[in-house]
This record gives sequence, C-alpha cells and structure tokens, in this order.
Amino acid sequence: MGRMVSWCAEAGRGFWRACVVMVVSMLVPAVWGAAVALTVWWGNPWAGMAPFVFACLGTFALSRPVCQVFRGLVRRWTGTVVPAGYREAGPVTRMSTGYWWNGVSYARTAEEAREDQELRNRWTDPATWRDLRFTAIVPVTAGLVAAVPAAGLVVAGVGFARATPVAALGLVVAVAAAPYAWRPVVPVTVRFLGASPSMRLADRVDELTAQRADTTIAQAAEIRRIERDLHDGAQARLVALGMSLATAEKLMDTDPGQAKTLLREARAGATTSLAELRDLVRGISPPVLTERGLVDAVRAMALDSPLSVTVEAGAPPRLDPPIESAVYFGVAELLTNAAKHAHATAVRISLAHDGAALVAEVEDDGRGGAGVRPGGGLEGLRRRLAVFDGTLEISSPADGPTLARMMVPCESS
Amino acid sequence: MRIVVAEDLYLLRDGMVRLLESFGHEVVATAATGPETLDALLKLRPDVSVVDVRMPPTQSDEGLRAALAARREVPGLPVLILSQHVEQLYARELLADGSGGIGYLLKDSVFDAGQFVDALGRVAGGGTAMDPAVIAKLLAGGTTNRRLDRLSEREHSVLGLMAEGLSNQAIARRLFLSDSAISKYTTSLFGKLGITDDDNSNRRVLAVLAYLNDG
Repeated sequence: MGRMVSWCAEAGRGFWRACVVMVVSMLVPAVWGAAVALTVWWGNPWAGMAPFVFACLGTFALSRPVCQVFRGLVRRWTGTVVPAGYREAGPVTRMSTGYWWNGVSYARTAEEAREDQELRNRWTDPATWRDLRFTAIVPVTAGLVAAVPAAGLVVAGVGFARATPVAALGLVVAVAAAPYAWRPVVPVTVRFLGASPSMRLADRVDELTAQRADTTIAQAAEIRRIERDLHDGAQARLVALGMSLATAEKLMDTDPGQAKTLLREARAGATTSLAELRDLVRGISPPVLTERGLVDAVRAMALDSPLSVTVEAGAPPRLDPPIESAVYFGVAELLTNAAKHAHATAVRISLAHDGAALVAEVEDDGRGGAGVRPGGGLEGLRRRLAVFDGTLEISSPADGPTLARMMVPCESS
Repeated sequence: MRIVVAEDLYLLRDGMVRLLESFGHEVVATAATGPETLDALLKLRPDVSVVDVRMPPTQSDEGLRAALAARREVPGLPVLILSQHVEQLYARELLADGSGGIGYLLKDSVFDAGQFVDALGRVAGGGTAMDPAVIAKLLAGGTTNRRLDRLSEREHSVLGLMAEGLSNQAIARRLFLSDSAISKYTTSLFGKLGITDDDNSNRRVLAVLAYLNDG
C-alpha cells in the first residue's frame, strides 16, 4: 500500500516535471512555429522575411534565459550544479571628456556604454554559442521525451471523447512514462551546458591567480613583521647590551659596584632578547614541528593549551613541510578560537591521513556560531589552505558544538 | 666531575667547556652529532653530560634521542638536556622512565653560571633540574585538576620549586622562609595530593610530575 502511494507520488511529480521540461524546451520551437505559421497564412514567401528576422532575434533573446532555467531545474531536482560560466562585464568608467568608456568604445551615457558592452559580450562570449546549440538540441532530445506523458494524456482524452480503445493505450503510456520522462533532461543539460575544458581552465587560472596574490601578500606581511620584531626587539637590545658592557668595562676600576650592577642588567637584557627571539622563532616555525613533525607538534600544542585537549592521531607519516606548517597553524588558530570566541572547555583534535588527503578535525564544546566571514580569521585560514588545494568546512550551530574540518590533499612521503 | 658536552655549534661548545673547567670540572669528551653523543655516553659513562636537543645529521631532536637511547641502555645515566626552547612534551618523555638524574633547562640558564653548575651537580647526584618555564606550564595545565585547586598559594609555589628539583633547604632560601616552615608545607601538600612523603628529592619530583601527568 505504502509503495503504491509513493509510486503515485513519484508519477505525479514526474508528470509535473515532464510538463515543465516540455514547455520550457518548446519555447524556441514555438517562436519558429509561429513565424512559419504567419508566413503560410500570409501566403507570400517574401512576407516571410519579417517573421524570420523576428524568430532569429527571439531565439537569440530566449537562449540564455532558457538555459538558465534548465540549469536551475537540474540543480533543484537532482542537486547537480552546472556552472553558468558567462563572461562578466568589465567596469564602465567616466573619462575626463565626460564620455563613458567600456573598454572598447565610448558612449554618451553610462547606460549606453553598459548596453553596448553587454551586447558585445553576448556576441563574443563562447557561452552564447553553446546556449544556442543547446536550445536547438534540447527540444528534439529531452523535449520530445518529456512530451510523452502529456501526449498520452491528450490521446486518452480524445479517445474517451470518441469512445475508442486507443484511449486506454494513451492512459497506460501516460502513467507508465510519467516518472521517467523528465529524466533525460539531466544528462542532456550536463553534457551540452556543462563547463567546457577551456572554461574550466579559465576558472582554474583565475583561482590560482587569486591564490598567488593572497600568498604573496601574506608572505610580504610576514617578512615585514619579522623584520620589525628583530629591529625593534632583539637588535635594539643587543646594542643596549653592548653599551652596558662598554660602560661596565670603563667603570670596572673606578666604581666596581656600579660596574657589577651594569653587568647584571646586561645579563637580564640578554635573557630577555633570547626570550623574544624564541617567541619569534616559534611564530615562524615551531621547534617541535621542525624536530618531530605535525603530530607531536600538535600534541605539544595541546599540552600548552589552557583547555582540556585530547589528540587522536595514528602513526604519522611525514608530509611536505609547507603543508605540515599550514595545518599546524590552522589547528593553532582553531584552538585559539575555541578558547577565545567559543568559550569552550574541552577540545578534541584528530589527525588522519587516508592515503590521498590529510584530514584534521577540531571539535569543541563551546557556544558555536562560528562562520567564514569576509576578512575574518577563518576566511584567512581557508585561503591559506586553498594554496594547497585544501578545504575548510565549519559546522557551528548557534548553541554549539563547533566542528572544523581541514582537508589537504597530499601524498605521504 | 667527569662531564661530556654534546653541542653542534663550536662557539657554544667551546664556551661551555671553558665555563665548566673554570668551576673545576673535567670535560672528558665533546660531541657534535647525535651518534657521537650516544657513543661517548655509552663508552665513557660520564658523571653527567650536557646535551643539546637539536643536532646534526638531521638537525631534528637527535640529541634528545641519543640521551633517551643511552638511558635505556644505562638506566639512570645522568643527562642534562640544554635547549633553545623547552617543551612539556619533551619533559614528559625525559621523566617517563621514572629514574632520576635528569635535567631539562633552557640555554639561558647558563647566564647564571653558579645556579647552572648547581643544577648540574644535582643531576649528577641522581636528582632533577627542570626549567621553571616547563614547571609553570605543567602547573598551569593542571588547572582542570581538582586536587591541585585545593593547594594554597604558598603550597603551589613550594610545589613548583620542588618540581624544579630543589631541596627543602634551597626552597627555604628562595622563599625566605625557615626549613621547618617548608617541611610543614611539603607535608601538608603531600597530604592534599595523596602522596606518601619521602626524603629523596628525586622521588618527590617524580611523584609530582607523575601526578600531573595523570591529571
């Protein structure tokens, strides 16, 4: 009984979807049908010129919305995302002459410039030609199949009206085809609207360019920080140390007491600059990470944390140092967040390598609500991982707990 | 004392040898790599050795590994680890075997040569010398531990100094208190921690650290 009901629901949904696919895919053929009908009705072949031109323009105007609708439908029904990949319009700027420049030509107003650019874009964008090809293909593939249930129903209706046995046949066809008729639209859309290799390549180049820019900026900032810390800290202290020693040397004979004080101060200064250098080194590359690798470095971090941290990790393979470093600092940041923002008391860190990727999870018992925001710490972390094609997933409902999952593809060495 | 110095940087090795000799000790050998260190420790069995954590050929924790390997071979072989940084992780590894004669100090500690040589002597005598930075972290990390919360502030600081490896007399000098006051504090804090008292300072430290490891 339950199966019967669910099958009926499936058939009903399928029928509805098939109808939608049929209507959308037949929009462009309908325009052409109308043009031909007009020509035939006028009876003069030369009068067909105008409807022909209008049909061409209509196809051109409809192709993109139709394709977008198909992408939307496929995404809604199956979850398969087919990226649009249309060319973005560039900026329109005002020149000193008062005219507007859109990268190719001048226009009197910004609007004109934009329209001109859009038209040019549509014309030169390879995606436009792909859309046109799709609008030609889809009616004869997915469109025809999707029309089967509706056609069956029409046949049944007409058959019943005339009381012929064809009616039953039509009904059977309509019901049997209903759950399946819409399905061809998925492979057709994926195959003919999916990203072309060149599109994918262009996306990848954009992504890599952005990553390179991020990395360069981050590195430059890091080097500046190190330089400043050395300049203001250790270097200055060593100069002061030298001065104290020189003074003490001078005072040694005349005022031994004062000299002794200076020497003691000098020793304290040396201790402080050592401590500063140690912190600096730790910020660049934690010693345990260098000496023992990621797992022990994370264990050491857990021991130093004010929270109660448990670390789960199997026998660790050594990975590329940059990846180890990125994951280490990622874990450090997540641990800091757990203490500072989530007010957590206990944290579980797990490190695992599944042969193709390193997976690091940090889960706390805090109040949650963490998210990747533009300019935020997690966004920075995501970008740093992206340099290695790594990903960051955050699950953090408002009342907690927060689970952060970093995944970096890498071969163990 | 017969001492082995293992340190890969010539300047530091040389300075260390000079410092130790100025205090009247004999440096029987120096080593610049992990394998050399292990060799020297096992062949010469010095009274105590000063070992750097990071050494060639791998520039990772070769020195620490050599020290641990030597102590597996000769239990209780006194080793003082001297490092540019101190880590709880390493401290726990060093203390894990439960026998004394272990030290783990920051290189800065040689600035106070007198105290440094004192610590070295303690390690040679089977005691311990732990860096205050490590102890502070160990004690701070134990805040989730209920039993530690019961200690008074004074008992806390006595526990810290005890964990560094100081004797009751030395703790008394540091805190400007009488010996008897210190033994009162130690008795009460042992009671609170549930550790049976023992005059051997080494076992006291190990008890404290073992307790902290449990927590």
